[in-house]
Amino acid sequence: MQDRATALELLDGIGRFLRKQSETQTDRWLRFQLLVASNSLAIVKRELEQEEGHLHEEWRLLDGLLGEAPIPASYGELQSSVRERQDRLCEAISRGAFDEPAREADLLRYLVVETKNRVRITAPSELDD
Amino acid sequence: MADPIGSPEIVTAAVRQGLDIPALEVTGARLLAGGAMHDSWGADAVFPDRTDELVVRLSPPARDDTAKSRAEFVVMKAAHERGVRCPKPIYVGENSRGQTFMLMTRMPGETNPRQLVTSPDFAECRRALVQQLAEDIARVHTITPAEVGDALRGPEADAECLSVELERQRIEYERVKINAHPLLEWSFRWMARSIATLAPRTRPLHVVHGDLRVGNIMYDRAGLTANLDWEGTHIGEAEEDISWFLTKVWRFNRRDLAAGGIADRETWVGAYEKYSGFTIDRERLRLWEVFQNVRWSVICMMQAHQHLSGIMDSHEHAAIGRRAADTELEVLRLVGAC
Repeated sequence: MQDRATALELLDGIGRFLRKQSETQTDRWLRFQLLVASNSLAIVKRELEQEEGHLHEEWRLLDGLLGEAPIPASYGELQSSVRERQDRLCEAISRGAFDEPAREADLLRYLVVETKNRVRITAPSELDD
Repeated sequence: MADPIGSPEIVTAAVRQGLDIPALEVTGARLLAGGAMHDSWGADAVFPDRTDELVVRLSPPARDDTAKSRAEFVVMKAAHERGVRCPKPIYVGENSRGQTFMLMTRMPGETNPRQLVTSPDFAECRRALVQQLAEDIARVHTITPAEVGDALRGPEADAECLSVELERQRIEYERVKINAHPLLEWSFRWMARSIATLAPRTRPLHVVHGDLRVGNIMYDRAGLTANLDWEGTHIGEAEEDISWFLTKVWRFNRRDLAAGGIADRETWVGAYEKYSGFTIDRERLRLWEVFQNVRWSVICMMQAHQHLSGIMDSHEHAAIGRRAADTELEVLRLVGAC
């Protein structure tokens, strides 16, 4: 077990430092780069906090689209398996497997959840809920 | 920041070459903005009775910009002659180092899009600007393919522009795809189906600006002073320019003002209809809006691809890859899925 500060606490600290530096920086280019870096750290932090839950939710919805499969036990395996299932989903979409209205409605339900989950991590202020 | 691709000496020589006056006094050469593709330099040409404020836009020495820059020059000239607020192009050619450059007049105004969209000081400007932009882009759309010869890319006269552009984006998507994007796969398929149901286009093809957005204009407190960045100009249909201005990424968080964060959708489209005399098919426009958000999502991917493939070591480009998500959410909103 690692000592504190935890990974999330370290990220918080670095992010605040970068943001403060950007606020006092007179060079426009550097100010912008510092802001981008601080925003990226915020994305990393939200991803560490939320992604595993999102992947479980998406796995259940992908079961409905691609057929049921046992959910991987480890977080790392879950990440790679969801990625692999998304590749399969893309192939199925491109060959017309979701053109029929009822199948397309199921697909859209998944796409809304999956897209909102990405936005919750990358740009949560863009969401109404 | 990347090193500038010019120098005061190169810019001075370019002004003299462009105006064909070898001994001309040129002062004040300085870098105005370093773009992704070009550098723009300001310089003053000093005559006995006046001083002309100019811009030299320089391409990197290794970049073959000859045909593209000449096409851009022809379109800017036609636009300027129609009264469009834009720099007057003076010369396009190559310097002794093989760099393509364009010489043009320097326009007054500011370029910061965030200030334009958010500052209370520019409220009056925003009201005027949406009308002026609509007026200008309607003028640009009167430039016919025949006027610009075969300088510009474009579809066949009877082709469906949206289908042509969709195919271009699909090819680009396949090239830069860095992970699965089921939403984009579905969007490509849904758009192809939806385009087939559109009423046929009735207006002949014409020149489009190709990159009309609040980041590509100059303004002052009274309104628009210049349309810039004509590099994307090509032959197409009006809805392409109108919809690119509506794309989510250019709103700077003003979700209530779909048109570049400065006006609502109907004010923008209505202003275009007033100045052009053409009615915009709202369903065609909606499909263009979906397309343009798909296009931006692919551009986000392309930026991240540049970083991940080692072409450009840039944490900023890597981060832009993550902006595909909120753009794709806009696609779902536009099709009524959420």
